[in-house]
Amino acid sequence: MNEILKSIKRTPYQSLAIFLILFFTLFLSTVIFVSLTFFYSFLNYVETRPQVTVYFQNKAESSQIFKLRDELTSSGKVLSIKYISKDDAFKIYKDLNKDNPLLLEMVTSDILPASLEIYAKKPIYLPEIAEYLKKQSGVDEVIFQKDIVNQLVTITNVLRITAILFFGFLMFMTIIILIVITSFKVALKKEEIHLLQLLGATRNYIRSPFMKEAAFFGLASSIISFAIISLTIVYFNPFLSGYLRGIPTLGLNFHFFQLVVWPINLYFMLTTAILSLAFGIIISTSASYLAIEKYLK
Amino acid sequence: MIVFDKVTKQFPLGNTGLDEVSFEIAENEFVFLVGPSGAGKTTILNLIIKESTPTSGKITVDEIDITKNKFDKTVDLRRKIGIIFQDFKILLDKNIFENIALGLKVVGQPSYKIKEEVKKQLTFVNLSDKENVFPSQLSAGELQRVAIARALIGNRKIILADEPTGNLDPKTSWEIMKIFKKIEGKKTILFATHNTDIVNSLQKRVIVMKDGKLAKDQKKGGYEV
Repeated sequence: MNEILKSIKRTPYQSLAIFLILFFTLFLSTVIFVSLTFFYSFLNYVETRPQVTVYFQNKAESSQIFKLRDELTSSGKVLSIKYISKDDAFKIYKDLNKDNPLLLEMVTSDILPASLEIYAKKPIYLPEIAEYLKKQSGVDEVIFQKDIVNQLVTITNVLRITAILFFGFLMFMTIIILIVITSFKVALKKEEIHLLQLLGATRNYIRSPFMKEAAFFGLASSIISFAIISLTIVYFNPFLSGYLRGIPTLGLNFHFFQLVVWPINLYFMLTTAILSLAFGIIISTSASYLAIEKYLK
Repeated sequence: MIVFDKVTKQFPLGNTGLDEVSFEIAENEFVFLVGPSGAGKTTILNLIIKESTPTSGKITVDEIDITKNKFDKTVDLRRKIGIIFQDFKILLDKNIFENIALGLKVVGQPSYKIKEEVKKQLTFVNLSDKENVFPSQLSAGELQRVAIARALIGNRKIILADEPTGNLDPKTSWEIMKIFKKIEGKKTILFATHNTDIVNSLQKRVIVMKDGKLAKDQKKGGYEV
């Protein structure tokens, strides 16, 4: 640690430049990571919602709804159908608005429509099912989720490609800048490196102080950028809660586990912190390694 | 200990550094390497420490052919050799203790051993009171003594001295020579110099280089400019 601090004191401007470029890169990378995980989680959520929801008029009889349900089931195009009665809808509404008594007072089960949540076997059946439902008597509204999903898929894909391109450019720029700055630092120690080589120092021995310093900068900048992002998330948490009301959880499904993104939880924050730390250390030490290697050749 | 067998070194621009030079230095022998500037003295030292490779010929150090194509033990070779330069090559941002300790630190010795050895070498070169002093506070003669201590530490078998008295006045040069006298017979020493007084007074083996060729190799020889 003493050696690292000495080196920082000896080259304060180069050290500051390394820290700032790493901080900038890690801050943006973490913002991109958090945003993409939110988008993907939201997409997952929307995809698991009923693909077609049909709301019935108040006058529609439950026998009429069941008949329609049976017809759809026997069509062979539907995977499952869930019937939500007026009472069920009211229960759901009450549960969602349990913290808002004013909203609860204003609504009774009479005004909430009964509905069917329909999951198609294949997405290509969705327009057909939606069209069929629209023609039935007693049907008030047919909500066809495919458009929303498609739009979200398009937006997420555009975001993903943009993020990858931007991230690639950011990585390239950061590594080049870090190599240039580290090369200055290495050049300042040219005589010492030559002497160490003549005394029989290995390449690892010569690399070691530069790598340790790089790891220190990677660590420091990732901790600070993560701290700022965490505080921002904490600050915006109440606003997000408002926007995402009614969505119990958002998450990403992997083979062995599910990463819950919303509500903000310790596990997600810890994952982000570990990734940010690892990325910071890898990018700074790689750039340092390349700068020294060029010199040791 | 060091064997040069018809060693030729040509530089990229075509000028010849060494021309079929052959000699043999026995273990613990003291040899002066003399000759005018450009005669090939530093080229010989650079070839021994693998700073450069010969164009042709064979160099053996401690019974290992270091000119073989597959030679990859440069680090091990350099750990057997202590080098002393005319310009001292002392690191200005490290104190005397740290400068001398470098010779052991690079070989990964534990800090207690380094402390012990550095103190021993500081006493040997009469600088035991300068341990925590920085190079800018020392005279040229003292700096050269630090360089000698750094070269000796770690029980290195071979000492290569490249004009170690070149930047020193006659009195200080003799003080430096007294240290070399103390290690004579314990290490293989190849001492490149211009200093005729020292060479002629000490009556050691002298290899005289001229225009990249070995001009003379005499036991108890002398040197005239």
